[in-house]
Amino acid sequence: MIEISDLRKEFALSSQQRKELNTKDSIATAVDDVSFKCKPGRVFSLLGPNGAGKTTTLRMISTIFKPTSGSIKIAGIDAIKNPKEARKKIGFLTGSTGLYARLTPNEIIKYFADLHGVSNDKFEERKEHLYTLLDMHDFQGKRIGKLSTGMKQKVSICRTMIHDPEVVVFDEPTSGLDVITAENIIKLIRGCKEQGKTVLFSSHIMSEVDLLCDDMAIIHKGKLLFEGTMDDFKNQMQAENLTAEFIRFVNATKNQ
Amino acid sequence: MIFKIFKKELKDTLRDKRTLIMMLIIPTLVFPVIMSVFLSVSDSFLENTETKEVKIGYIGNKDNYLINHLDHLPEIYGEKRLFVYTDSVKLKKDIRNDTIQMGVYIDSQFDKYLSNKRPAKVKVFYNATDVGMEGRAKAYLKTIEEIALQERYLDLKLDASELMPIKTEYSNVASGKEMIGELAGGILPYIFIAFGFLGCMYPAIDLFTGEKERGTIETLLTTPVERWQILFGKMGVVVLSGLVASSAALLGLFLSIEVLDLVENEELLSMIHGILSLKFLLTLFLLLLPLTLFIAGIMIPIAVYAKSFKEAQSIITPLNILIILPAMVGFFPGIELSVITACIPVVNIVLATKELISGTLDHSLLGLSFTVMMMIAVIAVFISYKQFDKETNVVI
Repeated sequence: MIEISDLRKEFALSSQQRKELNTKDSIATAVDDVSFKCKPGRVFSLLGPNGAGKTTTLRMISTIFKPTSGSIKIAGIDAIKNPKEARKKIGFLTGSTGLYARLTPNEIIKYFADLHGVSNDKFEERKEHLYTLLDMHDFQGKRIGKLSTGMKQKVSICRTMIHDPEVVVFDEPTSGLDVITAENIIKLIRGCKEQGKTVLFSSHIMSEVDLLCDDMAIIHKGKLLFEGTMDDFKNQMQAENLTAEFIRFVNATKNQ
Repeated sequence: MIFKIFKKELKDTLRDKRTLIMMLIIPTLVFPVIMSVFLSVSDSFLENTETKEVKIGYIGNKDNYLINHLDHLPEIYGEKRLFVYTDSVKLKKDIRNDTIQMGVYIDSQFDKYLSNKRPAKVKVFYNATDVGMEGRAKAYLKTIEEIALQERYLDLKLDASELMPIKTEYSNVASGKEMIGELAGGILPYIFIAFGFLGCMYPAIDLFTGEKERGTIETLLTTPVERWQILFGKMGVVVLSGLVASSAALLGLFLSIEVLDLVENEELLSMIHGILSLKFLLTLFLLLLPLTLFIAGIMIPIAVYAKSFKEAQSIITPLNILIILPAMVGFFPGIELSVITACIPVVNIVLATKELISGTLDHSLLGLSFTVMMMIAVIAVFISYKQFDKETNVVI
């Protein structure tokens, strides 16, 4: 379970940033009082155009950023007061995530298992399960730098799941990937849902959202525009398809 | 957990060819290469200066006392050929364009003055940029002057020793170690600092800016590890790389002396053996540790702040000068480790290393230098911690 309430994140602007953004404000609000709930066994999608505040929200959830105000609960743990405990429950994967090019998949997976405090027995069991699932045995000893994008993506997935997290956070996980490689992510998200994990993923691709998610929220300029189930969203649609409705939603706030 | 991060970062660093070259290969080769080149160049230069045939132009009578003796000086003084000149302007011009290397203008009354037991005048021309020529000219003239002096003593029936009222003997009380320390002691800490800096530079940029640039830091920050543990694990590798680079420079020095036999002077060799003891090495590393920690501590905030490898490199490279400049203090004679200099970071380590080589290091000043450098290093590490803890710095 992920419970977010009145989440707010402000960044201090340097004089150069003020000049670039053409503003006199000394503070930029990236996330403005956002609240939502992601339930176990369901896939929650955070939707929004570029610069909407999706990544900042996910970074606060995964404790990389500290919120200016509001609260975050990860599997019942207060992530602001106890970030280290909250991180034990989280698996985090982004589309832009890189891997250590000079290490092998085996070395990377072991490193992250160690950082998450996975015991040796559990590690071997999880590794075998994931390697079989993702068909990784053939390239487990090769250096990352020599692997294809698809292989790298599999290593990223394996690294995210090695500690068997209760909550999995994906930040635009398919961005930059071809259809075949993106399919691995789709499978992973479905697998997580079947296992009863809480899945939160951000995207701006409506077809992907339609394919996977049960619940969704739309965020724009840091503000929450919609929160509900996918069915609720479809029921209130005024445009002819999901993408058009998403654009209509965002444009409606621009005109307000 | 710090050790696990350290182990992984070390493995990653050791697989980076660029870091290995800067950390191991270049520092190991620098002493053998510099010493080989310096020795072969100076040997060939010395040989060339001593054996080179010198063309001497002179203005004066061919049967003159001086020219006669100059012509008959033994070969040990080097080969020479004499040419008669009538014009001093042409003589000087030919020295400038290296047609001849030396000119002698003999006063027309030279022989007369000599036989009258009065100082006979001679003018010697040489080009000071033609290294070694001044020495050669002085050696010729001093020898002929000595011959003339002995002849005069004989003529006047004088005992030369009676004309020497004071016989002075100068004796140097400094030990060989102290002499090496004073003359060459400055270069060692300079090289250790320079390579310590280079050794730290690539791992610092790779492990902090590189991780940010490659997008691996974000995942690392979502693991249940405290940020300071990540920082310390990485910093450990940066410091170790700096120390390895300094040690590699020392290894290179050792190889030059013991394996390549580049030092042939037996006396100098035994002095060097006397310096390179276990106690010397331990004290040296005791001094290098806070210095390397300080270097890492000032590089890491920059590496954390920079958004790209290029940006980090462009800020850190000029920083090199800031560290190297105080290290040059070791080259100046007369500046010694005192209570004041022991309180100046970097300078204290350079001077302490210099005195360590000389064997004159005062233990209380060593303690003071170590404490001051350690305090500065702790401040630098604290700044690194603050920068690494700043969320906008860590994630692009």
